[in-house]
Amino acid sequence: MASFPVPQNHRASVSAQGTPLVLPADLSRRDFLRLSAAVAAAGILLPSTKPVAAQSMTSSERELLLHAIDVARSAGAQYADGRIIRTQFEAIGAREQMITQVQSTDSFGINVRALVGGSWGFSATQVLSRDAVAAMAREAVAIAAANNKVAPSDTVLAAVDVFPDADWITPHSVDPFEVSLEDKAALLLRVNEEALRVRNIRFSNSSILSVKEERLLATSEGSLIRQTLLRINPSINITAISPDGSDFQTRGAVVEPAGRGYEYIRGLELAASASGWAEEAAMKLQAPSVEPGKWDLVLHPSNLWLTIHEAIGHPTELDRALGFEANYAGTSFIYPPEDVIGKLKLGPEFMQFVGNRTEFGGCATTGWDDEGVPAESWPLIEDGIFVDYQTTREQADWISQYTGITRSHGCSYGQNWESMPFQRMPNVSMLPGEDDLSEDDVIANTDRGILIEGRGSYSIDQQRYNIQFAGQVFWEIRNGRKFRMLRDVAYVGRTPEFWNALDTVGGPSTYYLGASFGDAKGQPIQVNAVSHGCPISLFRDIDIINTA
Amino acid sequence: MAEAKGLSSDDLKAISDRVIQLSNADQCRVNINSGWRGYTRVATNRITSAGGADATSINITSVFGKRVASVSTNSFEDDALLAAAVRRSETMARLAPESPEYVDELAAQNYQDNQAYYESTGELEPLTRAEAAAIAIQQAKAAGQIAASYMDVQAGTSSVATSNGLFGSHSKTGVAYTLTSRTRDGLQSGWAGDEANDWNNIESQRVADDAVRKCRDWRKTNLDPGQYTAILEPTAVGMLMLRMMNAFNQRTADEGRSYFSKAGGGNRLGEQLFDDRVTIYSDPAYRDAESSPFDRSGEPISRQNWIQSGAVENLARSRFWAGQLNQEPLPGPNNLIMAGGNDSLEEMIASTERGVLLTRFWYIRGLNPRIISYTGLSRDGTFLIEDGKITRPVNNFRFNQSLVEMLQNVEMIGPSVRVAASENSSVSTPIVVPTLKVNNFNLSSVSDAI
Repeated sequence: MASFPVPQNHRASVSAQGTPLVLPADLSRRDFLRLSAAVAAAGILLPSTKPVAAQSMTSSERELLLHAIDVARSAGAQYADGRIIRTQFEAIGAREQMITQVQSTDSFGINVRALVGGSWGFSATQVLSRDAVAAMAREAVAIAAANNKVAPSDTVLAAVDVFPDADWITPHSVDPFEVSLEDKAALLLRVNEEALRVRNIRFSNSSILSVKEERLLATSEGSLIRQTLLRINPSINITAISPDGSDFQTRGAVVEPAGRGYEYIRGLELAASASGWAEEAAMKLQAPSVEPGKWDLVLHPSNLWLTIHEAIGHPTELDRALGFEANYAGTSFIYPPEDVIGKLKLGPEFMQFVGNRTEFGGCATTGWDDEGVPAESWPLIEDGIFVDYQTTREQADWISQYTGITRSHGCSYGQNWESMPFQRMPNVSMLPGEDDLSEDDVIANTDRGILIEGRGSYSIDQQRYNIQFAGQVFWEIRNGRKFRMLRDVAYVGRTPEFWNALDTVGGPSTYYLGASFGDAKGQPIQVNAVSHGCPISLFRDIDIINTA
Repeated sequence: MAEAKGLSSDDLKAISDRVIQLSNADQCRVNINSGWRGYTRVATNRITSAGGADATSINITSVFGKRVASVSTNSFEDDALLAAAVRRSETMARLAPESPEYVDELAAQNYQDNQAYYESTGELEPLTRAEAAAIAIQQAKAAGQIAASYMDVQAGTSSVATSNGLFGSHSKTGVAYTLTSRTRDGLQSGWAGDEANDWNNIESQRVADDAVRKCRDWRKTNLDPGQYTAILEPTAVGMLMLRMMNAFNQRTADEGRSYFSKAGGGNRLGEQLFDDRVTIYSDPAYRDAESSPFDRSGEPISRQNWIQSGAVENLARSRFWAGQLNQEPLPGPNNLIMAGGNDSLEEMIASTERGVLLTRFWYIRGLNPRIISYTGLSRDGTFLIEDGKITRPVNNFRFNQSLVEMLQNVEMIGPSVRVAASENSSVSTPIVVPTLKVNNFNLSSVSDAI
């Protein structure tokens, strides 16, 4: 197999491990080959099977969970699944030369989801005794039965293979929870110190948030899956104040969260880079304010990933498109399925997007989803045409007549033991171009443009049409070269026109994985973490406003 | 009266005392949240999820000198688990570098207790939630529409205790009910919602009537973006004012990174910066918008003016920052009330030559903190007003608007009401605001969303 390009934020990468990539069974051979090639080109590593170290869920926890499933089945559920989940957070924060926060959080509990007729019931408890767990299971069945009586649904679960004894751990070499607080504190204080050396820099905040989810999943179909998911979120925000106190500017979002271990943080060279980010904050004080109007836009992946999240990731959620999120997250302009699947042109022919839960370092990367569906990668937009949505087991059936795909894409996730799993966004990534254009090559493609790095203010309407995104650092491009820094820039547009204005995509060497820990959906609201890979990209004639 | 949901105040005190007894740290603080949440969600005219759970989490802060760390856990059924959590927080605190800004834990305080816990809400049955859902579904179906609704119910007690003799606990309830009704062709949408501490103040039937009527009336026609006189319904005002709360911070002002910073140093306390009818305050005892009379560190929170008749009267300051300034600390607000006026919605419309009526907003995000500007989009009911009458429903807009300018451009003020100000419709910080008529509201681009 060809060697993979190493994305910019993957410098300290270790070899991946986990489940084999499973493609939808009914994907055509042509699609399979095309997708495999594209996935490889994008540096989306296909994990290989490898035994993993013993995980912390004990045999008594396994028995408790199986007991809950048994009770739910005896109480009348035709299908039940359940999870024991322990979620740990560790946050350490610094401001200038002091530590401002050291917080560890540990939450542990069990849940059961039961299907009666066509309706779901869900219940959870933090009391892990046999009696409490049995009562919880019966309650889940009672709620399902009540919902089935009042307003019956007609849930059909897509077929899934059974995995009776499966393990997966986020590929990593250093568990963030094994790294001492002193080490983390020292790093943050160094970062702030380096930033504060730069002229006009008055404030620097930095933090590291580590997350570990230990999950044991059991289904009444016989799957039993143990997983440990690791994620880490480094954050730095630097503030410059003008000498006369009349202005302040910030540089934040300098690095990305990742589904990786602490070796990722070490590979980022935060302390060595801090003065560079601080210089950018200080330069903003002097930078001219942008002249609003039409500009070509070169979006660095550190900015483009969030636009992908909002304007491709969200509108391709099937539950959203069908009205299930109408009262909060909204609906979708990619609707109705029968009119858009395989028909809606969203961009030029070279524009390719995949959904995946397999990408190395992705925050949504996993071995199996919350319904025991193995992680996979599949096309969402192929040759500029919308071809598929994100699905769970019950959703696959809703569109299988249009996609020809009868299995779930594995997008079920509940944020913790208290939360009922539902369809959540996988990693949604844009594939790099076949020609390996560099950042300079892409910039050279415009005479008058703006290069935007880093995510800034972002907002999009509830059907994902009207976008307005800012950034962190803005460079005016003149005659194909970076010319000077600008400030107060935001780009606005209508999603279909915006993607159709895509002119040039960079090659695999420009591919970079951005990520968010804060993907929100559902009522009660649940938070999901996802990554989005993309190459540097050029868009023509985009509306720029001045936000000053 | 029925017991509050979750652990009782006495239980919380007993657990806190035990933690402090187990503690070997110089100082220790214990924060506990214990309670219950129930919910019922509707979409596509069916109940799609309904559930409930009790949860208790305990947060232990250990302090050695100025070394501080906190551990939060929900596993404390037996003494060994509790002791383990205490030990873990102490281990972390010993490893943590010093926090120069750490201020000693508080000793016993006096709190102005309030009745924020309503039995009507705490004892609300799933069946009652389902009945409200049924009203919405029935009403929507009768109008040929599709309902999506959410009812969030929370009830419980929170407490704070310190090794310096402080203990406080506060019980409260909250209920938020919101409904979005859409037509089958996806071309019309309407919204209504209520939020309260007291279930008896949730009007399920009115919410259903309003959302279904808005949906029926709102089939958009084209209107160009621009600066419009805008009538903002209370929900729209509340969603913006929720953001304003964060700006009332003295330290960021003194540090030169806030709208309230004075050029050349210092802050703008006392300056007349807004329309003189603008008064914004917080009050933990405000009827049916009650909130806790203490913050996380145990500092007492009482009624406090932030903006009085257009002038900045107070900015919040932490105990550390207050100490630097030799001033009294002033905790930030945990509810927000904007004083109402006497102008009715009808009078506002009748007095408008050309303007836009806005129901609520979506995806509000900060733009420029120097002018407290935000962007966001209108949603679920946007109408054109011409010559004193609503003439037609129009497309949604994105706004890019400084909240400072909005509060300077106030023309008319209606009576204040509690609103469901959270975009995700969970029970949120209580917000009580009026309908506002403001001029030169910046609707910067069209949104095609419905």
